[in-house]
Amino acid sequence: MSMERETGRQLFHLALGVAALLLLLHFGRGFMIAVVFFTIIIGTLLMNIQLLGGRIPLVQWFEEQFERPEARLPGWGSAFYALGVLVLLTFLTDTDSIAASILVLGLADALSNIVGRKGKLRLPYNRNKTAEGSTVFFLSSLSAWYFVGPAAIPLALVATIAESFPGLEDNLTIPIACALFFLVT
Amino acid sequence: MDAITALALSVDNPVLKAVGLLIDNAYFYAALIVALVLLGENRNDRRLRILATLVVVIVLGAAIKETLAHPRPCAGVSGCPADYSFPSLHASAAFALMIAFLNRKAYPLYLLFALFISFTRLNTGVHVFADIAGGLAVALVGYYAVDLVWRSGGRDVHGA
Repeated sequence: MSMERETGRQLFHLALGVAALLLLLHFGRGFMIAVVFFTIIIGTLLMNIQLLGGRIPLVQWFEEQFERPEARLPGWGSAFYALGVLVLLTFLTDTDSIAASILVLGLADALSNIVGRKGKLRLPYNRNKTAEGSTVFFLSSLSAWYFVGPAAIPLALVATIAESFPGLEDNLTIPIACALFFLVT
Repeated sequence: MDAITALALSVDNPVLKAVGLLIDNAYFYAALIVALVLLGENRNDRRLRILATLVVVIVLGAAIKETLAHPRPCAGVSGCPADYSFPSLHASAAFALMIAFLNRKAYPLYLLFALFISFTRLNTGVHVFADIAGGLAVALVGYYAVDLVWRSGGRDVHGA
């Protein structure tokens, strides 16, 4: 996948994260649950049309701009992103915890990916990730301090480990790790 | 109470209520789900995978219910289920079934079925909308988990 396309994809995820955060803070958790739920429902319907050979120009443009060519299904990455946000919204009830987690998912993951692809030090347990990317992920996750204070430090650590885990969708492992962190602490 | 739950609760139709109560019966609902698997899929390996997904989703959902222990919106009312509210296991199973048919022409029907089941859970007052949305999340996570295991076991059944 070209650097430009992957950067565009990450910036799109960043924009989605910021939009989700603003909607959450302005309209509240209940509204956001409905938005993300129906987004997933409509999204799966569009995926079904694409899988059956139907072509929707807007969806195809979206895929070409923001999806990885190697994605298993059309809309795969975006679906996991939306699912990750839904996990946070439904499993957590405190708005600050949800906001902190969305910040980690939207901001830290996007920035670490952009920087990490230029990194040289490969992680020993995951050759697709770099130490530079994980460092940026950890540091940018600390922005969650704004919502949850010092809890942002262990949150950033847990999320960094989850993000670096090999073979799994980080758009899902990060929110699950964040949700578990807030449910346990 | 959220607006979607309030809207679903406001629908006062005796037929819908009766269907909702029938679906509330775990044995009837389990039989209905299995029948829909058998009707919609004729390959045994795919049937096995869908049923495995349903089992994982139900076990995962039940474990989450017991751990988080969110009280039902109908708690204290006669006829209210004794277990906890979040996530809705009925919705989880329906959404897991739905997503298993993502690459099929029948998908919209399974989607409508899942939405109808979700509606009946709200209409009978045993869940709020967050429980339904949580059911969707549990279904998709469970489906992904089974997909990972199935693929690592070398059974490449490209369902969805």
